[in-house]
Amino acid sequence: MAISRRDVLLGSAGALGAATFSFPKPALAQSEPIKIGCLAAMTGPSSAPTIGFNRGVNFAVDAINAAGGVKGRKIEAIIRDTQGDPTKAVNATQELISQAKVHAIWGPLNSGEALATTPIMARAKIPDIHPCVVESLIDPAKFPNAFRMAPSNSQWDDAVRNYCLNILKVKKVAVIGDTTGYGVTAVGASVTAFKKDGADVVYQANIDSTQPDMTPDMLRAKNAGAEVIVVWSVSTGMEARMFNTRAAMNWDVSFVGHPSMASGELAGLVEKPANWKKVYAIGYKSCSYDAAGKLPAKSQDLVDRLVKANVVLNDTLLWWIAGGIDAIELIAKGVAESGSTDSEGIIKYWNTLSKYPGYFGNYTFTPTQHNGYPTEEIVMSEASTAKNGTFALAPGYT
Amino acid sequence: MLASILASGLAAGAIYALVGVTYNTMFSTSRVMSFTAGQLAMLGGVFGSMFTLKMGMPILVGFLLTLLGCAIIGVITEFVAVRPVLKSLDQHLYVLSTLALALMIQQVAAIKWGTEPQPFPRLVGWGSGVFDEKFWLPVVACAITIIGLEYLYRRTLVGRAFMAIAEDNFAARALGLPERDLRVASYALAGVIGGVAGFSGGELLLAFFANGALLNFYGFVPVALGGLGNNRGAIIGGIALGLFQQAANFLVGGIFSSVAVFTLFIVVLLAAPQGLFGAATARRV
Repeated sequence: MAISRRDVLLGSAGALGAATFSFPKPALAQSEPIKIGCLAAMTGPSSAPTIGFNRGVNFAVDAINAAGGVKGRKIEAIIRDTQGDPTKAVNATQELISQAKVHAIWGPLNSGEALATTPIMARAKIPDIHPCVVESLIDPAKFPNAFRMAPSNSQWDDAVRNYCLNILKVKKVAVIGDTTGYGVTAVGASVTAFKKDGADVVYQANIDSTQPDMTPDMLRAKNAGAEVIVVWSVSTGMEARMFNTRAAMNWDVSFVGHPSMASGELAGLVEKPANWKKVYAIGYKSCSYDAAGKLPAKSQDLVDRLVKANVVLNDTLLWWIAGGIDAIELIAKGVAESGSTDSEGIIKYWNTLSKYPGYFGNYTFTPTQHNGYPTEEIVMSEASTAKNGTFALAPGYT
Repeated sequence: MLASILASGLAAGAIYALVGVTYNTMFSTSRVMSFTAGQLAMLGGVFGSMFTLKMGMPILVGFLLTLLGCAIIGVITEFVAVRPVLKSLDQHLYVLSTLALALMIQQVAAIKWGTEPQPFPRLVGWGSGVFDEKFWLPVVACAITIIGLEYLYRRTLVGRAFMAIAEDNFAARALGLPERDLRVASYALAGVIGGVAGFSGGELLLAFFANGALLNFYGFVPVALGGLGNNRGAIIGGIALGLFQQAANFLVGGIFSSVAVFTLFIVVLLAAPQGLFGAATARRV
């Protein structure tokens, strides 16, 4: 059949006309995977938490996808190894946003990287959820897209102070940190808060973490009459030396403070296991077992599922794994509830959460408060009692 | 308090002194201040812990393998960071090359070994309190090393050849001494001395990658105080530094003790730029 010029014109006009109608576009979008960018320091100096968090991320992604995904859409975790380096984290963030076109980002997982990446994600309006502790990372006015699902520094500080003053009921406190930026800032903030609450800070010091002998500072703290030593440091070497020195001095003062005091490495660094007793490190209700050795029911259920899925627990912390799971589930829930992967919808949904029941904690966010973790769920743990990434509650909790 | 100052001061001082001797040993045959000295001591602790605790070897075997490992790193230093810049010593390119290698060693140690301090085994099991072996072992190691070096330099042909190279490189070469081989050997020896420092001080400093930078600084102070190339000066400077540092720790506290150490260092150098035991260099005219 011959095609006339009129046929061509008619056909073209028809096609043009059809193109002006709005076709339902979902065909692709509804089946496209939900892409979650993960800024993970998988290698390098600060990789230990990431490895734990990542086990949770993989577990959650597998579980959601096995159950059919989010309204039929699979979740795809796009992981970038930042090696703990802020420059690499910035590059990875830009690549995830502009090339991989992720719908939300989990991480970074340490504050140094987050300080560099948070403004970039804010400019791109990418929903971001992270566990970093530095206060300034959360500011709903400047970074309306950034949400914290773990405690901030000041929440840790509040919990430690509460334990010392209200549970141990001590009044004379020594506050010791290392000479890093973190140590100096944390000691300053802690001393101010203790004094504000009426405690007598009898000794405060920042010690070089490589100092081989801790006797001078411990002696000064003892002579000043300290009833408890609050420690703000991530240096396990320094902490072990302080515990060993306490034993050599025959002093039975308690140490309370930073979670690193519960690090498994300390087992090899203390001269005797007894030197690690009366050390109470920051922990979490959801990941602490009681005097009978029982975890909260929800956490026990999670541990059972993790064990069944062959997730290794004995070389990491349960809260890292639980936090990874919660982050992925919060993003998935954001997509499910808002009905799309649009940033605005996910952020809007997160801002409505009140006591959202995660595994690590019950999160609450509002448009003006993006610190989601409740302070009352922070507890002190017996530092030397690690069992499958969980710890015994410190004395004084019921 | 005095006993504590003496115990920890002498121990730390002995380690600093050994690192100072490591600097001097490398300097004597090459005229290069190699900033890998502290890293060699750091590796002494890391290798020691790795061979004995991680790999479960007997202490003596672990010790010998540690010394071998450190000697190899010493030789690598000579090949990689020293030899290529020897022709332009006056441009001080060795500062850059040895610092770069030191950083590489530190980073590799951090990645492979980890960034947290690791335990170091008890070596002898004698003593407690201020007489604990972690305090006296570095002092004994320092004394044995000095006696060994004195014997080597004064009683053996190889030692005398080292001295000849250190005294006058060109004259020694003119006499037919294998200058290059002797330089390599002196870097291996420096590696061994650094290894001894790290191994004997392992219980005090732990097996920790960041010890390298610390020992680079504190090991350099006795060299500057005692006079470049002067081992006796380095020993006295090291012990004095350790005691002063620990006394300052007790009296003024951790951060201020570092300030006190470097204030004293600057004052001494202003008063005696060639070091307390060094002779002013004569310049040929």
